[in-house]
Amino acid sequence: MSAAEQNRGSVAAHPGDAAGAAASAPRVRLKVEQASFAYSPTDRSAPTFTLGPASFEAHPHELVAILGPNASGKSTLLRLLAGLSKPLAGRIEVDGEEVSALDLRTRAKRIALVQQESELLFPLRVWEYVLQGRYPHGRRLRFESDNDCLMVGNALAQVGAEPLRDRWMDQLSGGEKQRVILSRALAQQPSLLLLDEPTQHLDIGGKVELLQRLRRLADETRHTVLVVTHELDLAAEFADRIVLLHKGKCLRVGTPAEVYDRALLEEVFEAPLEVEMRPGGRPRVSLRGDR
Amino acid sequence: MRPLTPRRVFNICALLLGVLFVLVVISLRMGAYPIAVRDILMTLINGALGRRDQIPSEFSLVVFGLRLPRIALGILVGAALSTAGAGFQALLRNPLADPYVLGVSSGAALGAIVSLIVLPFTPGAVQVAAFAGAAATIGAVYFLGRRGGQLDSATLLLAGIVTASFLSAVIMFLMTILSSRDLRGMAFWLMGDLSSAPAVDLRWLYLLLIVAVGSIYTTSSDLNLILTGEQEASHLGVNVRRVKFVVYVGASLLTGLAVSVSGAIGYVGLLVPHVMRMLFGTDYRVLIPASAIGGAIIVVAADLLARTVVAPTELPVGAMTAIAGAPVFIYLMRRRVR
Amino acid sequence: MPDLLQSSWRVLRWWGFAVIAVVFAAPLSVCAQHANAASRQAVDGVVLQGTRNVVTDEVGRQVSIPAKVNRIVTLSPDLTETIYALGLDEKLAGDSNYCETPPAAKLKPHVGAPLNPSLEAIVALHPDLVLASTSINRRETVDALARLGIAVYASDPHTVRGMLDSVRKMSELMGSSAAGEALVGPLQARLDDLRMRLSELPLAHVFFVVWQEPLISIGQNTFIADALSWAGAESVILSDQNWPHISFEEVVRLQPDYIVFTSNHGGEGETQLADLRARAGWKGLRAVESGNVVVVSDELARPSPGMVDAIEQLARELHPEAFSPQSTNGNFDSGDRGQFARRVSPEEGCVLCAR
Repeated sequence: MSAAEQNRGSVAAHPGDAAGAAASAPRVRLKVEQASFAYSPTDRSAPTFTLGPASFEAHPHELVAILGPNASGKSTLLRLLAGLSKPLAGRIEVDGEEVSALDLRTRAKRIALVQQESELLFPLRVWEYVLQGRYPHGRRLRFESDNDCLMVGNALAQVGAEPLRDRWMDQLSGGEKQRVILSRALAQQPSLLLLDEPTQHLDIGGKVELLQRLRRLADETRHTVLVVTHELDLAAEFADRIVLLHKGKCLRVGTPAEVYDRALLEEVFEAPLEVEMRPGGRPRVSLRGDR
Repeated sequence: MRPLTPRRVFNICALLLGVLFVLVVISLRMGAYPIAVRDILMTLINGALGRRDQIPSEFSLVVFGLRLPRIALGILVGAALSTAGAGFQALLRNPLADPYVLGVSSGAALGAIVSLIVLPFTPGAVQVAAFAGAAATIGAVYFLGRRGGQLDSATLLLAGIVTASFLSAVIMFLMTILSSRDLRGMAFWLMGDLSSAPAVDLRWLYLLLIVAVGSIYTTSSDLNLILTGEQEASHLGVNVRRVKFVVYVGASLLTGLAVSVSGAIGYVGLLVPHVMRMLFGTDYRVLIPASAIGGAIIVVAADLLARTVVAPTELPVGAMTAIAGAPVFIYLMRRRVR
Repeated sequence: MPDLLQSSWRVLRWWGFAVIAVVFAAPLSVCAQHANAASRQAVDGVVLQGTRNVVTDEVGRQVSIPAKVNRIVTLSPDLTETIYALGLDEKLAGDSNYCETPPAAKLKPHVGAPLNPSLEAIVALHPDLVLASTSINRRETVDALARLGIAVYASDPHTVRGMLDSVRKMSELMGSSAAGEALVGPLQARLDDLRMRLSELPLAHVFFVVWQEPLISIGQNTFIADALSWAGAESVILSDQNWPHISFEEVVRLQPDYIVFTSNHGGEGETQLADLRARAGWKGLRAVESGNVVVVSDELARPSPGMVDAIEQLARELHPEAFSPQSTNGNFDSGDRGQFARRVSPEEGCVLCAR
């Protein structure tokens, strides 16, 4: 597709690429260095939850899965990545800039956090909703320009939601709405796309479709997609890199093949599992029946 | 896809201003004292040009002393209440919010009653005290409505309702122990009344109106985003905390201003934003100015009716807006449910 | 292109504000100037139409009134009644709504309700003097009229004597001192006569009912309390509030000698007593059992010349022994009562005496 080619071409000419035209070395989009966080209910009591030092990197065109069971600290790590909380120690950088030091608008131009739901108070058309994603790119009180409308068109096209453009938001189905929400995030033209358990309310068909779309986005555009999930099979199938968390500790970072070790997974997820390495380097996980 | 452009906003405002102008001319014409339109226009022109000695003194009295101040006050109050209503509907994320839901009018009423007890014969004391009462209530509800350091819609609404109830109870208590002489004015004030001249020069009040409406307008893009969700808005780069503060203070000040000079005129702050939404869309960049001018139109029209329907008896403006407003409100509610 | 539009919008916006500001500021300035000029006029007494006198009205305001008053507007039914009583009804250019005493007053042009008259209607009548009363008019109305340069005299009747003095004063202002004296003199004489007749007698203990549900009586500082004292009665309720809400138990505890109601139509006395006799609680009161329930004309509650009649009526009911036998049929000659119609007379049955 021409859009993808354009985007691929623009990666090489990205202004943040200080190393010049050395497109062969993968640029680091996201760098997490020894970031840690602790959560306590009040200021004076002891922390009830600690996210241990975590380090990993992510590059353009990558789909990274932050994997772990419930209460492993995934959402906390996501909040740190989104700049919503400041890490107690360590650094988190996106395109070379420390995330928590950015002002709100700049941060919105780099990082897009994709919501799961949207409750609208007053009726809104799809294109109006997606157009709001252009907010970080202008002054506070602004009227959208033609360029903004162009970006909205692109964003809708990237998720295949172009035909929905003039529909009312509250008349969309669940899947359609999710695509539109994703589209608004894309209209922000972020470097990093963050999704928190996006497959929660979807059936297996919906889950696969979503991950396929995210995979396509990562491949064809310059985005880095980061998905927080506990779905072992989906992560194995679609992610380039996996960050495995357990009780706040970052246990392992690597490709699915590297991370999916049976003993490790069984300890983390506390379930009897079977890991099978398939040709192509992607493992398959299934329940181990005892009989 | 037709995004909102400044030209469209301008056009809508020009249209509404035109309607307002026609209504003002009609309103200047109607009244117990017979003056022809031609004479009114001559009076206005001579007045504007400073040739006051050329105006018959009684014309000047009726036009500049009676009708025009009343219309000007009506415009002020209508614009203030509607803008405040639109702001509160966004701030509280509730389409049923009106400017009085956070207790500002009860605070003003309490200030007014206290001033009637303490300084019954000082002209203008009631209005100043009412505004002081409103300001105190604004501060109190702000502190009660915070959660985690910033205003939280649900907490704010609860704080406002509780405060309003408490203040109403205090007011009722005071009204039973006061003598009827002091209270006579209160009944009128509670219903909304445009016949008392403001204690402070109208120009200062207009300045306050413009500043407050202007401040709220600068947040209108932000409000559009906040209406799709506060978290989402902050992820898009909106400084939600600051926006909520500005809208809260601006809308509350507008309400306090309106209630201090004219009592509690109802339904304007609730209905005008909704009608404007139905006509022009939900984008706050056009809704704020449209509500302001629309509110002015409604109040001037209601006051015109209140003055002329059963002349020479003058109905309170609040009664007029309630009589017209309640059926409109019911209609809107049914549309929503459908 | 969008940039040009945006920058031109920016410029337009500020100009728009400026234009609106000017369009509003100009007429508002004129209004403000006008307001100042008019109120200055009212106080300085500039010679416009003949001479003016500066007087102080009963709430302490300085008012500049023309020496010759030809057109009067009254803002309360009591004042309208007074005007008719003084024979000045030809000068009455307009009155408020609800002015029904005497019936001729209904035919005068109305200016609106006493609480909220139409300022324009008042201006349209070109009054030399407007009369207001603190018993029913608002301070805001008086102030608004003063700001328009119209002379407003506010009366503030607290006592019966005060009301009569007020009538005298107002008649002077309107150039009819003789009529004033002719009205007030005999009324004063009747009151003095009454006082003399009742001087030896003990005061009747009365429970005055303003409203039955909720039960409301009168306070010590009210006009009615003063009227009661002239009728040889005193309220059993001692309260600083003007219209205190009383619990029924309190009435039972106090066991007043008489219960007094007011009414604006005759013939109610018997029905009132019968009604109370049928009600739980009330029927156990000593006053009801002995039939000491009095209904008087509601003129007792209003500061107007007619209240003297009502006071006498009440006095007769409470202290019949003070009045010589040939007067009990109610036809006593009270001299010149003025031109107003008498609304209630004892023989109309508005009073019950079943002892």
